[in-house]
Amino acid sequence: MYSIELKNIKKNFGRTPVLKAINLAIKDGEFLTLVGPSGCGKSTLLQILAGLESQDEGDVIINNKIVNNIRASHRNLAMVFQTYALYPHLTVQQNLAVPLKLRSLTSAERNPFIGPLFPTRKRKLAKIQEKIIHTSEILQISHLLGRKPAQLSGGQQQRVALGRAMVREPSAFLMDEPLSNLDAALRVHMRTELSQLHRQLKTTFVYVTHDQAEALTMSDRMAVMMNGKILQIDTPDQIYQNPLTLEVAEFIGSPKINIAPAEYDTNGHLTCLGVKISFSTAMPEQKNVKLGIRPEHFEILPQDAKIGFLADVQFKENMGSDIYLHFKTNYFEQFFIVRCSPEKARFIAVGDRIRIRWIEEKILIFGSSNELVSFKKLKP
Amino acid sequence: MKNIFPNQLSSHVWFVVPAVLLMILLLILPVFVAATFSFTNYNLGSPDFEWIGTKNYEVLFKYSSYKKMFTASFTYIFVVVPISIILGLFSAILISSLRFGGEIYKTIFFLPVMATLLAMAIVWDFTLDPIVGIVNQTLQKGCNTNFFYSLMTGSWLGFNPVDTWYGIACAERMPNWLGDKKYALGTIAFIGIWQSFGFNMVLYLAGLTAVPRTLYKAAEIDGASGSWESFKLVTWPLLGPTHVFVVTITSIRSFQVFDTVEALTRGGPSKSTYMMVYAMFEKGVKQNLIGIGSTLTVVFLFFVLFLTLIQVYFVNRKVHYS
Ligand SMILES: Nc1ncnc2c1ncn2[C@@H]1O[C@H](COP(=O)(O)OP(=O)(O)OP(=O)(O)O)[C@@H](O)[C@H]1O
Ligand SMILES: [Mg+2]
Repeated sequence: MYSIELKNIKKNFGRTPVLKAINLAIKDGEFLTLVGPSGCGKSTLLQILAGLESQDEGDVIINNKIVNNIRASHRNLAMVFQTYALYPHLTVQQNLAVPLKLRSLTSAERNPFIGPLFPTRKRKLAKIQEKIIHTSEILQISHLLGRKPAQLSGGQQQRVALGRAMVREPSAFLMDEPLSNLDAALRVHMRTELSQLHRQLKTTFVYVTHDQAEALTMSDRMAVMMNGKILQIDTPDQIYQNPLTLEVAEFIGSPKINIAPAEYDTNGHLTCLGVKISFSTAMPEQKNVKLGIRPEHFEILPQDAKIGFLADVQFKENMGSDIYLHFKTNYFEQFFIVRCSPEKARFIAVGDRIRIRWIEEKILIFGSSNELVSFKKLKP
Repeated sequence: MKNIFPNQLSSHVWFVVPAVLLMILLLILPVFVAATFSFTNYNLGSPDFEWIGTKNYEVLFKYSSYKKMFTASFTYIFVVVPISIILGLFSAILISSLRFGGEIYKTIFFLPVMATLLAMAIVWDFTLDPIVGIVNQTLQKGCNTNFFYSLMTGSWLGFNPVDTWYGIACAERMPNWLGDKKYALGTIAFIGIWQSFGFNMVLYLAGLTAVPRTLYKAAEIDGASGSWESFKLVTWPLLGPTHVFVVTITSIRSFQVFDTVEALTRGGPSKSTYMMVYAMFEKGVKQNLIGIGSTLTVVFLFFVLFLTLIQVYFVNRKVHYS
């Protein structure tokens, strides 16, 4: 069962196409992330889904109903905006109350003059208050309820914005980079909080980010977007291990995947950087391919080993738990990056010549039009 | 070289002194002079004067012509301020929602603000002339046009045309807009609104551009369906600082109304448009009664000061979001 479907969505701003025929089906209760570089159209897609922008072509389907002509307020979606969009003149408490009041009170009950005359109003307000208190406890913002947004830190504002989405029970949550303005520690913390929230609520989440770590850790499935197109939709594992195109492979994974040119000889053997690869694939039509090797798929060998190739260490990046070694070979002028443990890197200094090899079965092979030609089976 | 500033610390004083001197000379001293004169019966040209204490102030709050002055001034303010503000806000919202043509409307509505009011007043004088003015000519012609007659009298709503304002005007004569004390203040107020709503509109347009677009999107997601809901939730409160500024500036400007009165009614008929600044001008300048003129000035300054204090209060207390 799909809770949200986008069919052939196209959108132009003036003459620039921003979305080019987007198709996306989101399962009920799924946590789907949209990742892509800045400006690829993620926010635009989310706004079209919410009904805040109109698409030029295509259908938005929510719970099996075409909602193209239904305005945002009636689509029953909750959204967290990239810029929070809290009402600056209202306190946190009032900000959280807005969606509840607008939806559960009639406009007469909301009227400051005649509202108090309705006996139902008091009951509803008490219920609203209860929900606000409950939500603010989950998000740990109870002590901030009396403050105005300007008196909050960025992280606190972000949590209030999340709270405003959480207080009601929408059919899906749309989140536009909700953690982008937090510091690293709080971001990791909120990541787990959001995942937990999703497990608790079992509601559909559509989560936009350009941070692949968020996408990889939180999502059931992720959709990689680039230049207004969705390049691949799959589980984080699949996308990491079998990126369908070179662009996806380059975008997902940090540090970036290493790319090296390779060539098939007449016998169907693949050679890269002067090293023969025993790894066999059905030989593609073209002889020239590209190899993608993730930084963790290199292995540092003892100096006297007979396999692998030599590399000059040019730069050493200490990330604490990992060391990134940037190296160069005689065959290729681009840098490669190796990820290794601090223990292994301890005796390696900048300027050293080391012997390394790649783990052959992990190599990704891309054809001349950048499509993946070697597929890996995922271990269950 | 000798140090002309023996004490280093005093050098900053020399930077400030000229400005302070000028300020005292040009701004503060005149107020004090006016305040002093307000306790005298000084007339320009007369060799001496007497201190008469608060007698001028007593006159001001007792004499019927000054009572009429206060009535006219405050009625004018209470009519012009709200109407020109509501019109300004309304047209600003309409214009800002236009996709194109907004610039043209802005220019048109802003024209009366840029034009010299004195010149405009002369045009209004012609327009509103009881006999040859285009307004009354049109109204007169309308009496004989069935459609216009029934529209204006409301006979299409079931009113008896002869009893309505227009019916009576047709039967007897068209109103003398500036010469009849029933209409004069209203007419002056109308011109005041015509003149100042464009200014308010521009202020509101500036205020509206400062309202973040995403707040409207957030309001829509939160369930505000319709422009009235999002106006109440977002536009109106976020214009808070603009409201305070617009109300204060329009009040002070309406208080200062002078040129239309001078050009069109000279305070008449029977002091129905005897506005405060005009009274100041008449007493102090035309009749050389410096004493009472100064008294009027002082009272006027207090009103303006009061309005400003209210503004300061609101700016500090309520509408400050950051
Ligand atoms: N209202 C608009 N008018 C014109 N162009 C727009 C408008 N909104 C967005 N764009 C353009 O559309 C493209 C996609 O914008 P969008 O906001 O969807 O990017 P994004 O993927 O969310 O980027 P980011 O990660 O930086 O938020 C951008 O190139 C942007 O310049
Ligand atoms: Mg965005």
